[in-house]
Amino acid sequence: MILIVDDKQENLFSLKAFLQLNLYDVDIAVSGEEALKKILKKEYELIILDVQMPGMDGYEVAENITGYSKSRDTPIIFLSAVHIDKRFVTKGYSSGGVDYVTKPFDPELLLLKIKTFTRLYRQTKELNDIKHNLEKKVEERTAELKEANNELEASNAELQQYAFIASHDLQEPLRKIITFSQITKERFISTDEGIHYINRIISSSERMRTLINDLLSYSRLSNVSIPAFVYSDLNLILRETVSDLALAIKEKNAELVIRELPSLQIIPDQMRLVFQNIISNALKFSKKDIKPVIKIWSDYAKEKSADSISLDKGAYCRIYISDNGIGFNEQYLDKIFTMFQRLHGKAEYEGTGIGLSIVKKIIEKHNGLVTAKSKEGGGTTFIIVLPVK
Amino acid sequence: MTKFIRFFLVDDDTDDTLIFREVLQEVNPSIHLISAVNGQEALNVLKLKNDSLPDIIFLDLNMPCMGGKECLAELKKDEVLRHIPVIMYTTSSQSKDIEETMLKGAICFITKPTNVKELKNILHQIAQNVHGNLEKSLRTLSNTSTTFIVC
Repeated sequence: MILIVDDKQENLFSLKAFLQLNLYDVDIAVSGEEALKKILKKEYELIILDVQMPGMDGYEVAENITGYSKSRDTPIIFLSAVHIDKRFVTKGYSSGGVDYVTKPFDPELLLLKIKTFTRLYRQTKELNDIKHNLEKKVEERTAELKEANNELEASNAELQQYAFIASHDLQEPLRKIITFSQITKERFISTDEGIHYINRIISSSERMRTLINDLLSYSRLSNVSIPAFVYSDLNLILRETVSDLALAIKEKNAELVIRELPSLQIIPDQMRLVFQNIISNALKFSKKDIKPVIKIWSDYAKEKSADSISLDKGAYCRIYISDNGIGFNEQYLDKIFTMFQRLHGKAEYEGTGIGLSIVKKIIEKHNGLVTAKSKEGGGTTFIIVLPVK
Repeated sequence: MTKFIRFFLVDDDTDDTLIFREVLQEVNPSIHLISAVNGQEALNVLKLKNDSLPDIIFLDLNMPCMGGKECLAELKKDEVLRHIPVIMYTTSSQSKDIEETMLKGAICFITKPTNVKELKNILHQIAQNVHGNLEKSLRTLSNTSTTFIVC
């Protein structure tokens, strides 16, 4: 619909009749005040505005229209018989008009202009609607995602809590099974066969205990509270780990060759777990008839990669832990870092299949990566890549 | 003259009470064991036994009605009972539990051992030193034992 604003009835009627003849819906206002009232209530595709009116003149009306958000995009054509001077035309444009037509005007030309402006208005409006809808949709989706994320975080925290409690409560009956088995064994079992079977009960229960303990430490890793990163000397952390493992190292008669390691921004307790798991793995999967030799050294790399060229300085530090043990086929590389995945029978090599998944989780928490190079029978080298900053 | 020794175990877990009783029997059959299944019952029992108080109290943490922490606080409020040494005897090994109970006046925090031998060893040490330097002997034990003991 088009709004014509003019204080002279004869102008109003002739223009109105002319536009209606050309199939436009037309509304009229005889003053600026009336026009503004109508604009507040209704949406127009185009406003044809007489400049010279008693009371509020055309410029003022235009300024008001463009200041009002609902009608801001409505095109305005000024019509003037008196103010045909250039400075009035300029004033018309600056107050919000898109065109300035001087009287007497060519009806055909005005009609063309009206056609163009109404089409432009409709297109702009359509575009705005689409934009508005899109924004609304994006907002909705964002809200949905946020909601889903919150739910996920909550259920994740619940799950971790659950794992922790479950592991802790699972220890309870197990402790009793072991204790009562020991009492039974000591007091009531006198045959070798009986002792053999009860020892099997005890060792199975002990295995389950280790399993639950490992699960506990894994679930503690995902605890919601994030432990602090501390700038620490890896040599110190490694030395502590080695002294914790002293008994196992002595038992296997293993040799450790350790080069100078750097200091990095890490979570000390977690890095200790990493060293502990990889070194005890190296001891566990050693060859039966060869003295285990474990070598630990480091270098730097430009990017987060285990294969890129070795540098003296770089954004990433790489720590290598190699052994001369039984190794594994690299096609199982993914498997060794997955929980409960074991490449060997329980009778051959002990272990719960959780250790390396703990390592992976910790290194990922440090924004690093861990991988291994190995050959069946040819030893294994674990490579940890950690960001320097 | 050997004095008659009394141990008091406060634990709602009947299996653990049974294990404790059995092992204590082996350690020293002459030790008298009294037990209660929660903090409230423990306080009631102790208030009735004014003339035959236990030499030491073993206190579990998680119990119905009144848990170990609350019971410990009540014990330490009582003019007479506060002098009986309390050892926390629980499945927990959490630092917040340890700190809290040690602050409240427990002399030692023992996580229930899995191994019967360990328990026997602990109870033996306690029985031997209950009228001597109990804390010192427990501290020595905590250095050599694989069981989680904090003094």
